[in-house]
Amino acid sequence: MEFLTNPVDWWIQPFISNGFMRNALWAGLLTALTTSVVGTWVVLRGMSFLGDALAHGVLPGVAIAFLVGVDTTVGALVAALVMVGGINLIRAHSPLPEDTSIGVLFVGFLALVVVIMSSRSGSWIGDLNRFLFGSIIAIDNRDLIRQGVAALVSVFGVAMFYRAFLVMTFDETQARLLGLRPRLAHAVLLALISVAVVASLKAVGNLLVFAFLIAPPATGTLLVRRVPLIMATALGLGTVAVVIGLLVSFHYGAAAGASMALVAVVIFLAVLTARALSDLRAGRHQTALS
Amino acid sequence: MTLPRDAGSWARPLLAVAASVFTITACAGPADDSAVLADLQTPNRAEVVVTTSIWADVVRNLSCNALATVTLLIPPGGDPHAYEPSLAARAVLDSADLVVANGLGLEETLDDVLETVEAESTPVFRIGEHVDTLRNSPSEDHDNSPSGDHDNDDQDDARERVDPHVWFDPVRVSAALPALASALVAEAGLDPARVDTCLTAYQDQLEAAQADITETLSVIPQARRQLVTNHDAFGYFADRYGFEIIGSVIPSPSTLATTSAGQLEALAELIESEDVPAIFAEALYSTDDADALAGRVGNIEVITLYTGSLGDDSDHAGTYLELLKTNARLIAGALS
Repeated sequence: MEFLTNPVDWWIQPFISNGFMRNALWAGLLTALTTSVVGTWVVLRGMSFLGDALAHGVLPGVAIAFLVGVDTTVGALVAALVMVGGINLIRAHSPLPEDTSIGVLFVGFLALVVVIMSSRSGSWIGDLNRFLFGSIIAIDNRDLIRQGVAALVSVFGVAMFYRAFLVMTFDETQARLLGLRPRLAHAVLLALISVAVVASLKAVGNLLVFAFLIAPPATGTLLVRRVPLIMATALGLGTVAVVIGLLVSFHYGAAAGASMALVAVVIFLAVLTARALSDLRAGRHQTALS
Repeated sequence: MTLPRDAGSWARPLLAVAASVFTITACAGPADDSAVLADLQTPNRAEVVVTTSIWADVVRNLSCNALATVTLLIPPGGDPHAYEPSLAARAVLDSADLVVANGLGLEETLDDVLETVEAESTPVFRIGEHVDTLRNSPSEDHDNSPSGDHDNDDQDDARERVDPHVWFDPVRVSAALPALASALVAEAGLDPARVDTCLTAYQDQLEAAQADITETLSVIPQARRQLVTNHDAFGYFADRYGFEIIGSVIPSPSTLATTSAGQLEALAELIESEDVPAIFAEALYSTDDADALAGRVGNIEVITLYTGSLGDDSDHAGTYLELLKTNARLIAGALS
């Protein structure tokens, strides 16, 4: 109960007296910003499965980049773009629905990384581990710059294509009629999701970045209706998840990435429950009136 | 709960982390916090953080059990290969005077953090860097390693294959201890005279243990000095006491790797042709794979050794010296 009885020491002091906590906070906030502006479209357009597939599909790129000694961020980005391209290719040249083409490539990429990992032995597996769970406790300035660039790209990308995203989310035909080039916009959105996923790997890790892409925007859609408001709400809730997650990890020794993701999901469930309860009460109220 | 064999390496760390999150949050009561705080608030007492319980025991001995507060990072029973550090761990590392680690890639998931800590706040002493290391993981000389592993011997590969499990050879450890003692004096400010006394005393104990172990193992005839282990952890033991490691259930110096059906089958055939009487499993890990192998071979014992972490006193593995002697006794009992 120290977070109630001694709020300054619990909530503020860790960030003041520890440089690594400030770095972790910045990394978490940039993750929340990037994932909330992009994740909102993922949620609104029903692309969660693609987001999940991308979050895991970057692994072979990381592994191959590590083996040949290239920057692993580049490897991850290339893998994400190859996956996105592959999904579009399968969708364009087969009668299969999109989730099937995502699913096929998802397992394909996962199987590829397991095969690569199992045919090699040695300590580099530990390095790959960093990407599964992130390593927000060892963030340096280079990581922050990389995340800052990704955040800028995401915010500008979403701002430039805002109208196209918005119209095609609700009516693809109309987007075409308005000359908004929905196919280009879709490709841009996929690229932005890839950037968001790859940039957040170090902070939350490959297995949990999906939580940030989905949970805060999903909570936002439960609370507000306009898209910019959903993004702002997602950013706010993502920030809360980051701060509480970091503090839980700091005070109780739990893994940081998992703590942040768990808080984001708990907030979603809490909002969902509160909404259901208030709907119930409103419903009962109406019945009583009629 | 058992994992499907082919779930892949990523599933192991996932479970490990899930488990550690639960145990750590479950253990973190206010009692722990106040104990840690009391330690932190004691003035003028050197603060040494050690990654594994085995090295923590060694550091306690070198610091005469009194000169420094020794904080253990990876809890006893935790796998040093798969420990997932938290921000609390980072805070402990940052506030220490000295961090003592095994190095050589043992603390796989900590490497990144230790490098950052070293660059920003606290000196890190890696014991493995002061040891005459062994390079190739022994089981790769045998049929059960996948082909293609040998053709890529660039420098990175050589470095990756350095065996980090140096503590299984007390002679090598004893030779590295003066460097560790110097670091305790230079970085943590311990009293040099007292550390020197305790260093000599501990080296004497190590020497006695070494003689004891050699005596215990002498009952094993030369022809039976063959080990089948869980993962490639016993290279230094084999090197010191004249054993041959003919194979491992997980043919890798890392526990985060996985085995394949083909590798297990090859190992089973090797065990049969060499007539090996025991498979040595590890207290830290599930014995499922070793049991399965034993079931396939038949007429073979599965013996659990203490490897990456101290056991408790009831296991006779509560200290580093006890652990070495207990392992020797178990190995001698199984092979003689």
